[in-house]
Amino acid sequence: MIRREQVRGRLELNAPLAEAVLTSFIRDAVETSGTQGVVVGLSGGVDSSLSAALAARALGPERVHGFLLPYRTSSPESEQDARAVAEHLGLPHRDRHLPHGGRLLPMEPDAPAERRGNKMARERMTILFDQAKKLDALVLGTSNKTEILLGYSTVFGDNASSLNPLGDLYKCQIWQLSRHLGLPGQVIDKAPSADLWPGQTDEGELGFSYETADEVLYLLFDLGLRPEEVAARGYEERVVRRIVSLEQRFRFKRRLMLIARLSGSAVNLDQEIPRD
Amino acid sequence: MAETPTLLKIGLAQIDGRLGDVERNTGRHLDWIARAREAGVDLLVFPELSLTGYRLLHLTPRVALPLGSPVLARLAEAAGPMRVVVGFVEEGERGILHNSAVLLAEGRPAHVHRKLYLPTYGIFQEERFFGAGRKLETFRLPWGTAGLLICEDLWHPELARRLAVAGTKLLIVVSAAPGRIGAGALPESHESWQTLTRATALLNTCWVAYCNRVGWEEGSFYPGGSHVLRPGGEIAGSAPLLEEHLLVTEIDLRDSDRLRWRLPLLDDERFDIEGPAA
Repeated sequence: MIRREQVRGRLELNAPLAEAVLTSFIRDAVETSGTQGVVVGLSGGVDSSLSAALAARALGPERVHGFLLPYRTSSPESEQDARAVAEHLGLPHRDRHLPHGGRLLPMEPDAPAERRGNKMARERMTILFDQAKKLDALVLGTSNKTEILLGYSTVFGDNASSLNPLGDLYKCQIWQLSRHLGLPGQVIDKAPSADLWPGQTDEGELGFSYETADEVLYLLFDLGLRPEEVAARGYEERVVRRIVSLEQRFRFKRRLMLIARLSGSAVNLDQEIPRD
Repeated sequence: MAETPTLLKIGLAQIDGRLGDVERNTGRHLDWIARAREAGVDLLVFPELSLTGYRLLHLTPRVALPLGSPVLARLAEAAGPMRVVVGFVEEGERGILHNSAVLLAEGRPAHVHRKLYLPTYGIFQEERFFGAGRKLETFRLPWGTAGLLICEDLWHPELARRLAVAGTKLLIVVSAAPGRIGAGALPESHESWQTLTRATALLNTCWVAYCNRVGWEEGSFYPGGSHVLRPGGEIAGSAPLLEEHLLVTEIDLRDSDRLRWRLPLLDDERFDIEGPAA
C-alpha cells in the first residue's frame, strides 16, 4: 500500500502531454460552441495565469481576452502581476474596476468580509459573462481540483465558468505546469490568496498547506483510502478530519441546480442529456 | 490455400465525432471512405459508436438505427469494393438497443457484432442504456477469417482466445477509450491498451488492429493511438495521439499461419481442464 513519501511522485504530471491535452480541450470547446474565443479574469495569481496561458497557446493570444477586475481593497501587487502576465502572454486586456469607483453595488455597510468576498467574486463573474456575450466568447474557468474538493470557492462566483481546463489539477500540478509554461516567477512563487481582504492567504484561512491538502485529497478521493488510513500514513489527524469535513460540507457547490423531482423525467436526474 | 490472396491494406480511421449528430457524422464517414479508397485501402475500420458518438446517455434511443437503415446502405454503397467497419447504436429485435459494430461488404451489412461486455463503472454507464450481445462469431473476409470485438470485450481475454481458436487471423478491436495522463510520456490509458493488444497478438498469434477515436465529449478526451500489431505483438503501424489520422498498413494474414506453425499455442489449447469453481 502507498507510503506517504510516495504520494508526491504520484501527483507528478508529464507537463508537455498535459499541455497538449488541455490546449486541445480549449480548442475543442471553442470550436464546438462556434464562439470566437474566451474571456478570463486575471487576478495575478497562478491559477488564472495558467488558464490564460493554456488558452493563449490553444487559440492564439488575440482570441484570449484578459480582464483585470480589482476592487479597492485588492493589493496593488496583484494588479501589477495580472498586468505582467497579460503582457507576457501578449493578450488583449483591459481594466474593469469593480462598479462605482471601487464601491460594490448595493451591499450593507456592516457586511462581514466573507460576504463581501462572495459579492466581489460574483460581481467579477457577471462582468465576465457580460463581456463574453459582447465578444462572442466563452468564460474560461480557473478553479483547481484542490479548491473544488475543499469547496473553497464562491457559488456562481469564481466556480462559474463555461469551461475549466484546471478542474482536474491539484494545486501542486498547477505549479508544475506553470513552471513548464514559463509563467513569471513572482506569480508562481507567491503565497496563494483570494485577495479579498489585505493579508489574506489561502493556507492561513484553510489552516493547512496546499502540499498537505493535495496529498490528503489524493489519498481520500483518487485512491479511496479512509480517513483513518490516511492519518496512519503520518498526516496530522486534526488536518485530515478538517479536510474530510470541508469536502463533505461543500459537496453542494460541485452539483449546482438542485431540482425537486416530480415527473419521472426530471432534468439531470431521469433525463441525463449530455451537454456536448 | 495458396490461391486465396492474403495480402491487404487495412486502414484505421482515427476520427472525432459529434455527439448525437448522425447526419453530420455520416457525412464525415463518407469523406473518410473517399480518402481511404484513394489510398487503396481494402478494409477500413472506424472506432466504436463512430456514427453517433459515445457518451450518449439518454440520447441513445434517438440515434438508434436498425441494421437495414438507409444510412448504413449509403455508407456500404460509397465503400464500393472496400470493406468498412462502422460503429453505431443498433435497434435490435424486440426494441433492445445494442452497442454494435457492423462490417459492410459488397453494398450491404455482412456481419454485426454486439458488444458483449458493457462497462458500468467509473465514468461508464453502458448497462443503463444498452442490452449486451449474446453471440461471438468469426466472419470471412476475402483474405482470411477475422473477428471483431468492441473496447471492453478485449478486457475479457477469453473472447479473443475463442475467436483465435475458431480460426481468426485478424482481430479487429474498435474502441472509444477515454484517456488518462500521469507522469509518463504517454497517456496511462494508452499504455494499458498497448499492453493488452500486444498480449492479445502474442497469445493468440493473430494480427490485431486497434482503432480508437480522438476528440472530446463532456470534458473527457479520447487519445487515439490506434495501432496494428503483427502476430506475436510487434508494431506494424501506429497513429499519432490526439489527432485525426488515417493509418494505412499493409498486412499479410498468412503471417498468422506462419507464426502458428512455430508457436502452436492455439493447437495446444485445452478447454477440458478441471479447475477451481469461480
